[in-house]
Amino acid sequence: MAKSPKKSKSKLWFLVHSWLALPIWFFVLIVCFTGMLAVVSQEIVWLANPDVRASKPADSAERLSFQQVLDALNKAEPDMSVRSLSQPDGAHFALNARVTLADGTTPTLYVNPYTGAIQGKMPDFNFEAFTRALHGWWLVPFTNGYSWGWYLVSLLGLPMLASLVTGLVVYKKFWKGFFKPVRTGHGSRIFWGDLHRLAGVWSIWFIAVISITGIWFLIQAILGDNHITISSEPVVPVIAREQVPQTNDGSPAPRIDLDEAARIAGLAIPGLDISFVSLPATAYSHIDLGGRGWYPLMFQSAAVNPYTRVVDSQFLLGDRSALEFVTESMRPLHTGDFGGLAIKLVWFFFGLVLTLMVLSGLLIWTKRTAQATAAALKRSERAPRARASDITAEIQP
Amino acid sequence: MKHLIRRLALPLLVLAAGPALAHNPMCECEAVDAGQVKCTGGFSDGSGAPGVTLDVIGYDEQVLVGGKLGEDSTLTFKRPDGEFYVLFDAGPGHVVEVDYADIAQP
Amino acid sequence: MSQARALPATPLKQFWLKWRFHLNILLILIPLGFMPKYFADARMFRGDAGLGVNQISDIQVGPYSLDLAELRDEAPRADGPAGHFKAFNAALCKACTNEVKAVYLRIGKPRSLRAAGTIFFGAPYRMGTNLPVPPRTRPDAQVWVTIEGWDGSMHQASVPLAKASPATVAWLEKQGGKP
Repeated sequence: MAKSPKKSKSKLWFLVHSWLALPIWFFVLIVCFTGMLAVVSQEIVWLANPDVRASKPADSAERLSFQQVLDALNKAEPDMSVRSLSQPDGAHFALNARVTLADGTTPTLYVNPYTGAIQGKMPDFNFEAFTRALHGWWLVPFTNGYSWGWYLVSLLGLPMLASLVTGLVVYKKFWKGFFKPVRTGHGSRIFWGDLHRLAGVWSIWFIAVISITGIWFLIQAILGDNHITISSEPVVPVIAREQVPQTNDGSPAPRIDLDEAARIAGLAIPGLDISFVSLPATAYSHIDLGGRGWYPLMFQSAAVNPYTRVVDSQFLLGDRSALEFVTESMRPLHTGDFGGLAIKLVWFFFGLVLTLMVLSGLLIWTKRTAQATAAALKRSERAPRARASDITAEIQP
Repeated sequence: MKHLIRRLALPLLVLAAGPALAHNPMCECEAVDAGQVKCTGGFSDGSGAPGVTLDVIGYDEQVLVGGKLGEDSTLTFKRPDGEFYVLFDAGPGHVVEVDYADIAQP
Repeated sequence: MSQARALPATPLKQFWLKWRFHLNILLILIPLGFMPKYFADARMFRGDAGLGVNQISDIQVGPYSLDLAELRDEAPRADGPAGHFKAFNAALCKACTNEVKAVYLRIGKPRSLRAAGTIFFGAPYRMGTNLPVPPRTRPDAQVWVTIEGWDGSMHQASVPLAKASPATVAWLEKQGGKP
């Protein structure tokens, strides 16, 4: 890169902007691309796998309640233990049932929400989880605390934010660029440059959201690995021994069913929309239910004691601190899975634009400077090795 | 990590890939002046445990000091003579035992 | 293109300028390299790789029996101020599942039901728990399984820690007398 001793300030900003992604541009490109895929990974699976779809048997079919679904599952597979039922975001998805079979395997089953029939099993290659793992932590496993791949990827949020800021500084009067047409016929460098700028101004909001939420993931890992929590969620891990009855004949004490739990939770928390239910994981565990409230980015939950019929703990929107409102909004804002298909498609589109911006940024850079650098390097290899104190300047004709 | 598979709209559950040990109970006790012991309880993610039972039990299983952690997740008590252990009891299977031998004498 | 260039001054800078894009290749190699482990872990969590490692089958605990296995063949993992933990899985015998209320695991014989250790979570055919491993545990320690029945009964059995998790014993021996 040319570096003359004096640099005007905007040239410096420009240098910083063009260098922010370059040494690792391929890595950045793949992170953006996999993120784009991850947003709609559920939808891609829906298109590819009919088992995942909530096919209505008849137009007038009604959705079953959670207990009705559980009854159907128990009837179909008496030896199967259902651990949780959840409705993904979108009525066109079948229910997900996490179960344990008698052979000790723990598949996730797709269950029709109208009939309770088991439509299929999640394939061994879980596409959603794979794209999420590749994008989120570069497939590096978690050992003690957060994966170092998580740190690697989330650190990218910093140069991305810097790239946004420096880009806006060097693009003089960027607000005029929203409707500037892209010039064709002036060579590819001009074309890619114009396209890069046009895509950039329209993506300002998205890049800000993605980079800031990405930086949050970095902060989240740092907090987690230092065992610091900002959560105000009540910790009620299990029910006290005295509250769980013993039985004379050694059979399990009766517990309320899921619909009764939902009813009790609904009484205690008016307007609780329940989209997932976790069955008690031990004899001393609660029935956990939850779903979204009026604020689509966050979930509300309640833990119902299946013996005393009391809501032992809950975590509603109103229970969160102001800080939690901000931090808990970060992940859904990053992934775009808070407003159904429409929002996902917006995130997907701008994710595509962002991916193309990284690509176009590189193309502009290669056409502008890489060739000159390569030429300079070739000359430096042919010339005798310069000693540390020597600086040799060459002027290209 | 049985944790995280957030995609299934189960934010409370941890992903299979995320930090697996997020919520283990913990209790630390130290000797403080005037022959007292101060115990602090909580969970490994940094959460406190206010109101959780903390009992000081002799080796003969007699409860010497029966108490609950305060709002600051601590309990201070006079160190009993003889052999004892401190039991942080957040429910069945969520206990931590601290033996008197592990609480250093000041 | 006409540009004035200053050639890199130090060999290190030359090295960097020449090889920096190979950093990309290195970064790409990371997920490729971890892919086998990723899929192996996915299999393990699905339960398709068995109950675990170093499985001890049919441990008689009173009238019941269960299988015990550590999740991974490795030393205990640190969880900050809470200490070190070892993940174990267990599977109850089919006939037992109805009568068994809870299953606990502890290093050393429990003093009482209340202090029976850590509880196993999940379905009876594949339950998991995090067993705390006190740093001064002796290498010849026993792991105690406690089963609580719905009728209030309590049954116990023990297996050597060296059998349940050889990696943990190796770790303990390396720790020596370190607190």
